[in-house]
Amino acid sequence: MGGERLKIILSLTPPLLIIITLFFGGILYGLLQSLGYQPAIGKYDINFSAYYNVLFSERYARMFWTGLGLNLWVSFASTFLAAVFALFAALAIRKTFFAKTICNFIYSLNLPMPHLVVAVGMIFVFSQSGLLARFASQLGFINSPGEFPVLVRDKYGFGIILAYIWKEAAFFFIILMSVLQSLGENFEELAQSLGANKWQRFRYVILPLVMPNLFSASIIVFAFSFGAYEVPALLGVIYPQMLPVMAFEFFLNPDLNARSEGMALSIIIALIVMVLVIIYFWLTQAKIRKD
Amino acid sequence: MSDLKIINLVKNFQGMDRPAVNNVNLDINSGELVAFLGPSGCGKTTILKMITGLFDPDNGDITLDDKTLLTTPTEKRGVVMVFQNYLLFPYMNVNENVGFALKMKGIEQSIIDTKVREMLDLVKLPDIGLRKPKQLSGGQQQRVALARALIATPRLLLLDEPLSNLDAHLRDEMRELIVTIQKKLNVTTIFVTHDQEEAVLLADKIALIFEGKLQNYTSPKNYYERPKNTKAAKFFGGVNFIKTKKNNNQLESELGNLIYDGNNLDELEIENIVTIRPENIKISDKDEYDHNSFKGLIKSVIFSGTHTRYKILIKNIELECSLQSVGINNIKENDEIYVHLPKNKIWGMND
Amino acid sequence: MNSNLKKINIYAIYLGAIILILPLIAFFINAFSFRWFYPQVIPKELSLQAWVRLKLIPKSGQRSFEGFIDLWASNPAVIKALINSLTIGFLVTVVSIIIALPAARVLGLLNFRFKKLIIFIMVSPTILPPIAFVLGLNINFISLGFSGSFLGVCLVHLVPIMPYVVLTMTGIFANYNPDFEHQARTLGANKTKTFFLITLPAIAPGMVVAALFAFLVSWSQYLLTFLIGAGKVMTLPLLVFSTASSGNPALTAAISIIFIFPAILILFFTSKFVSGESGATSGFGKI
Repeated sequence: MGGERLKIILSLTPPLLIIITLFFGGILYGLLQSLGYQPAIGKYDINFSAYYNVLFSERYARMFWTGLGLNLWVSFASTFLAAVFALFAALAIRKTFFAKTICNFIYSLNLPMPHLVVAVGMIFVFSQSGLLARFASQLGFINSPGEFPVLVRDKYGFGIILAYIWKEAAFFFIILMSVLQSLGENFEELAQSLGANKWQRFRYVILPLVMPNLFSASIIVFAFSFGAYEVPALLGVIYPQMLPVMAFEFFLNPDLNARSEGMALSIIIALIVMVLVIIYFWLTQAKIRKD
Repeated sequence: MSDLKIINLVKNFQGMDRPAVNNVNLDINSGELVAFLGPSGCGKTTILKMITGLFDPDNGDITLDDKTLLTTPTEKRGVVMVFQNYLLFPYMNVNENVGFALKMKGIEQSIIDTKVREMLDLVKLPDIGLRKPKQLSGGQQQRVALARALIATPRLLLLDEPLSNLDAHLRDEMRELIVTIQKKLNVTTIFVTHDQEEAVLLADKIALIFEGKLQNYTSPKNYYERPKNTKAAKFFGGVNFIKTKKNNNQLESELGNLIYDGNNLDELEIENIVTIRPENIKISDKDEYDHNSFKGLIKSVIFSGTHTRYKILIKNIELECSLQSVGINNIKENDEIYVHLPKNKIWGMND
Repeated sequence: MNSNLKKINIYAIYLGAIILILPLIAFFINAFSFRWFYPQVIPKELSLQAWVRLKLIPKSGQRSFEGFIDLWASNPAVIKALINSLTIGFLVTVVSIIIALPAARVLGLLNFRFKKLIIFIMVSPTILPPIAFVLGLNINFISLGFSGSFLGVCLVHLVPIMPYVVLTMTGIFANYNPDFEHQARTLGANKTKTFFLITLPAIAPGMVVAALFAFLVSWSQYLLTFLIGAGKVMTLPLLVFSTASSGNPALTAAISIIFIFPAILILFFTSKFVSGESGATSGFGKI
């Protein structure tokens, strides 16, 4: 069966080659550079000084740990809120009502929208001179732009969270809709005929039904929002900075040491995401074993 | 004229501890309708796929009119297959499906249209040309698949379980159609099945295949009346097997002495097994037979519609006899009965 | 079962929907107004000044067909970026599908050793953030001479795209019956004809979905293009970012509207496909 073997290898090589050389190659190169291995300038020894600097040095430690806190906060909050928002929307929208199709469309609208545009949209709506502020002023709630709370480009990452919710809610919404539509109704009717009220149906029928998909989707969204660059770059502030933005700025610094530190930071980000994914797999495996 | 010869054919698959096809030799004459019969996994479909060219054999040859097929690519072999689930191309309508083979030959569209109409008439579906496959019933799909296969007058037609997807009444119609068309176009046809009834209904000759090996290749009647071995006999529903010892031209058994008229007496070993079809055993409450007659006891009477089956115990041997239900109404369990095994209806086998 | 929604829930949905499209409204107002200052909710002046400034629409008085052509031929930044984005998107989409097709066929139809590992490798760029690989890759590209080049940007775009394309097409093949091909072969079709007449129509819907995915992902790339392009390759998202940082909302809004145009188109397309045959997504379970 040599011919078939060869066919398999030849078919798989091009995409594998691209991913291995560009993706894994890039990571490997970054890893080596972060460990001080720069053959171009004759440094062959491996040391962890870049990592140490990022994590513990006086210069950067505070920046890093606050940044990490901000990252975790932003990712958790946006993932959780987007999921909740989408869940309630999906639960309501599956029933029939006037303009249901349009609403369905609107709630999934943001899915193909680029994150950048959503971020800009947040500025337009939520900034102190944005749409909401103008409404508030027209309605007499505030008298000057400064009275409107700072919701974008703020220290707590609210703008970033809003932008992620805007976009990821559509993602959750579509997933939930497909799960609920294919499975939900029969189970719910059954539970209702057995005497369960609305809250009980939600807790014992709907929630377990959507939990697996919701969980996987959440991991995806969390991992993405943790490591993404664009939105925090546009909507973030100088301090505290989210980690991907920090890494990038270090990297662009002409000081070679700073460059290594940027790489180290990007590896740290990748490691954290990997740990999360591993925890996710471990949890799902444990759940399967439990069942 | 399309004579197919399968010569020493061998095929191995990874993960199987025996060859899937184990040294099969078969000669099929032009115009014959042959069945490859055997249980699932016996290798019959694998042989078919080697004839069409989906697989290459590990050893051996397949020739059509004495020219090997193995060096010809599938599309040039002139061997056409109709799959069990018909595989009508979903994106084409019936006309386009049926005309496909002619289109591949580059024939002018107007000629194709005429031939398509002819074929659809032949399979008795004249009006469905513009429909899409998903709008057709199972029986209609099969006839379209047949028309598609035959339009370019293939040298060999292969059918994969042609009747197994159909209900009983459709089966008869389809059987008529296949046999009629096959004889009319005189195209050598092989079909594969695991159902011995289907094989017996359709085929001129049946190749019985177990575990990759060819057991026997003969007419359906012979499988009933003159099976090659016990395994083959059982596959065709044989249930009566009596151990005998050859003694000159008689066979001694536990029942008694058997007079044997079969023409294979010389090939039989000293120890052999004799079989007889249930429908060939005669029974009577009177001792009226002049040979091979034994007294026994009715153990059970089982009514199965047109026939009634009687299990009879003679000494230590149980025989099953099957008679038409009409006319027999006074045989009950525990009756004493005389059992007659006609000398020209018993058949001896070596294993 | 009461399948009609309570009034208050309906209004909550409407409210949510309105909130969701507020940004879009803001975009359009910004893009088509002049001096839309706080605290106006409704702009006092509608105008095309943003578009004129971006050199997308000629000044009034020159808005003939030739006027448009002349203006665009002067290669304003937006047109350049638009063409770059379209070209890169188109190129990487086509290349990724061609590369992915044989691999997807093998992954969808066959089983072999290391299959799970290979799928994991194919999918890994979606798990780890781009910042993890692009920094190291950038240094590599600089030494290889790809930095700042169109080709370099195309290459790096392939990384986030390949997983989606491979996965989608593998799903298509998992649902595909290869016996159809053999059937066509026995009817006289050679391998090429079989591919174009039998295989392609069957996988075409999935290919379209994969292509749309790929194009969108490439279209939206910022970090990868910014870093590898080194300022020499300007695409629409880079333009959006720089204009948004500069603070002119009208210009930003106008460019953004151009930027989201394909996304809206794709939304209409996919709602037709996804509600109909979902061979791509349903095949995933078989992997």
